[in-house]
Amino acid sequence: MTELLQNLIDGLGRGSIYALLALGVAVIFGVMHLLNFAHGELITVSGYASFWALGAGWSWYVMVPLIVAVSVATSLLIERVAFSRVRGADDFTLLLTSFGVHFVVSAIFLLYVSASVKTFPRPTWVTNTYAVGSLRIEVFDTVVIVVTVATLVATTLILQRTTFGLSLRAAAADFDTARLMGVRSNSVIRGAFALSGVLAGIASVFWLMRSGSTSPTAGIDPMLKGVLAALIGGLGSLRGAVLGGFTLGLAEVILRSRLPDSVASLTEGVVFLLIALLFIFRPQGLISVPHAERV
Amino acid sequence: MFPNLRRDVVFPVFGSVILFAVFVAVGLAYQSQFSGAAERLVTFALIDAILVLGIQIYVGNTGILSFGHIGFGAIAGYAFALFAISPAEKLKRIPDAPFGLLDVSVGPWMAVAVAVGVTLVVALIVGVGLARSGAESGAVSATVITLALLFVTHEVARNWPDLTGGDRAGLSFRIGGTLDSRVPIYIALLAAIVVARLYAQSRGGRLAVAAREDDLAARAMGVNPLVQQMVALLISVVVVSVGASLRVYENGSILPRDMFFNLTLVTLVMLIVGGRRSVTGALVGVAVITVGREVARKLGQDGFELFGIGLDGAPLDWIFRENLKSVFMGVSMLGFMIWRPAGLLDDWELDKWLHGKLGRRSASPPESLPPVEPDDSSVLVAQGVDVAFGGFQALIDVDVEAARSEVVGVIGPNGAGKTTLLNVITGLVESNSGSVVLGGTDLSATRSFKIARSGLVRTFQNLRLFDSLTVRENVEVSYLVAAAHRRHRPPPDVDGLIAAAGLWEQRDRRARELDYGTSRRLELARAAATAPAFLLLDEPTSGMSDSESLVMVEQVRQMAGLVGAGVVVIDHDLNFIIGICDRIYCLDCGQVIAEGTPAEIQADPVVQAAYIGSTAEG
Repeated sequence: MTELLQNLIDGLGRGSIYALLALGVAVIFGVMHLLNFAHGELITVSGYASFWALGAGWSWYVMVPLIVAVSVATSLLIERVAFSRVRGADDFTLLLTSFGVHFVVSAIFLLYVSASVKTFPRPTWVTNTYAVGSLRIEVFDTVVIVVTVATLVATTLILQRTTFGLSLRAAAADFDTARLMGVRSNSVIRGAFALSGVLAGIASVFWLMRSGSTSPTAGIDPMLKGVLAALIGGLGSLRGAVLGGFTLGLAEVILRSRLPDSVASLTEGVVFLLIALLFIFRPQGLISVPHAERV
Repeated sequence: MFPNLRRDVVFPVFGSVILFAVFVAVGLAYQSQFSGAAERLVTFALIDAILVLGIQIYVGNTGILSFGHIGFGAIAGYAFALFAISPAEKLKRIPDAPFGLLDVSVGPWMAVAVAVGVTLVVALIVGVGLARSGAESGAVSATVITLALLFVTHEVARNWPDLTGGDRAGLSFRIGGTLDSRVPIYIALLAAIVVARLYAQSRGGRLAVAAREDDLAARAMGVNPLVQQMVALLISVVVVSVGASLRVYENGSILPRDMFFNLTLVTLVMLIVGGRRSVTGALVGVAVITVGREVARKLGQDGFELFGIGLDGAPLDWIFRENLKSVFMGVSMLGFMIWRPAGLLDDWELDKWLHGKLGRRSASPPESLPPVEPDDSSVLVAQGVDVAFGGFQALIDVDVEAARSEVVGVIGPNGAGKTTLLNVITGLVESNSGSVVLGGTDLSATRSFKIARSGLVRTFQNLRLFDSLTVRENVEVSYLVAAAHRRHRPPPDVDGLIAAAGLWEQRDRRARELDYGTSRRLELARAAATAPAFLLLDEPTSGMSDSESLVMVEQVRQMAGLVGAGVVVIDHDLNFIIGICDRIYCLDCGQVIAEGTPAEIQADPVVQAAYIGSTAEG
């Protein structure tokens, strides 16, 4: 029982970051029908920003807003340079465009920095824990969960209460109809990339605090987590993305603690396999988004 | 198997030999120009070409983006290595090898066969998964499953050192040295080109391409896309397995990272730069990217030294840096996706071009065909059809009947349920209750492609042609389905139907280049070429002028006569319906409110009130 509770808390901490990433992926999928394999690049770029700024002696308190700003700017820049040019293209082109962005960003860091992993100091409190009964809870996980919940509440308010939120939800439900109803596609798409950048920025802060490093290919791991969580939840469903993030986090933690040692190092593979199976038996994800094609 | 022996077998094989010869000649020329490392570069380009062709067979013909083919390559590579390495060598690397693999040793060519076999088994399982996930053309979930395959094979390879030698050591071997002659590579490459071209021209390839162009329309013509995608996957995996085995053989070793992201990126860039829908394009892509990468690598290493200019501190130093190669690959992928997603060659093929230039062309259209007598035994009966979308009753207890010798019309105002009725009959919408019976066979709850094969074939209100195929190829898709599934009927004559539809002059043009009226005629001809029992036409005159509609009346009668099919037609163009139909049903709010001859319908006060009256007022 204690172990299960412990897993639950660890899983929520991990899942929070995934949920933020997945929500960003889902928001963009909603407005562009683009599964963004370049989402992790926001973390790569933020990572290098942290490496340089922290190396220059900046404190983490300054870094938090800076990372979010860098992430938003990168997200908008990528939209401007690449995705705005392939709007309305087929899935094949969209998917490979986002992969292309991933490769170009990592190649630029490869060219101008190096292939090696760059590390920077992590905040000291990241590894602290406190005890509640027989549970050991990380201060970090607590912060992550609290901030994520606050972010999700704020995002929900934006989506429910603002005109932009309404446009975005309408576009996610049916982009063409939304346009006919007067939703401006340019601003809603840019807004979606900005929102996705903010969410990824917050996730970045946590991801970088925990990893304390970056490299040209550092984006792959968070990208996969975000994309997979969004897929688990059912692409296009914003609620599903959050749910998918927490599910993925919990699944990872539970698998890691329950699998026999000999296969524990295979956790990633097992998670992938489970997800492939999920697609096979429930292709629409946990939350299905109804969409019909008129013939 | 092949609609036209000359065009689909002789020319493709001939073209493949030319492609092969040119590709190899370019490689040898390059090699003699830049000696030393160039030889190895060319050898790997030849092997990469085999891998890229394998990927092209699946990705190009089905339109589904796969990241998993190098994952299949990894499986094949390890299987090959495990069977080809001598027991003594294995004892050094993997003394605890499972499944008694330690003592197994077969010749290298036998090992290739084993690799192909093992990988095929995995591909079969993955293929079932892809089909279950509802793989549609370009479907995102299918792509993610292939990505999962790539990552899972990589993870297993890294974490199962007893089998694979692990992340560091890997498996390496001396089977009398590495591959010491290029002959096997040449043979495999030529075979890969021939297989890729023949598959694309074969029945399976054409049906897969039809589903790539429009999944729904392909199903409505009787194509089962899932079966075709599976066939494409298996053939492509065989080619990839051979290529991967050769790569391991030539390398003399295999590590998990050899068959992972990097090679996936390289092969995909080659494919999309050349043109994923073309075998010629795939080879062009391999050549262009191999040379491009090499140039980028050298520029990155030596800067302008490459050209013997030696400008130290030149203004371009900021770009001529190490790892320029990676930038080149990323920019190639991104640039082509943004500016030329179809690649350099799109779907151009050498042998098609040669056939166009050299092939005998019948200049005059064929003689007009004799009509086929409809056999009146099979009646189409839809009975008690109820459909509700949520709380909305789209159809309420609808009965409709049609005989093969008649043209039956269904009219009704917008939202009356006409298209829904057609969708129920052709299996695109499931009815809540009621039945659809054709000649005594119950077709309710049957999948749409099976319904089409039973003889109910439809057209679409919003035109669904196979856009990048030519007029003739569009009609041939239906012919291929008819030839396989409607053997009891006289086989449709493709040329005759094209001529009768007035498309003879345009037969080699792509469907997307046709004007609207011509596209409508093509859709009709394509449906007729399935030799259906009934043609079901969804607003064939929508968007047409009155005079065009009149021409359409003749067209529909003629086409139906040529294949002996009955007709059920939906429209709200009253002149058209009255001009063409023997009997008319009038639908309103999901219910049949009147039925009779055109004259009776015109005179019916209920119809006038519900339909004609309302339009007259509006």
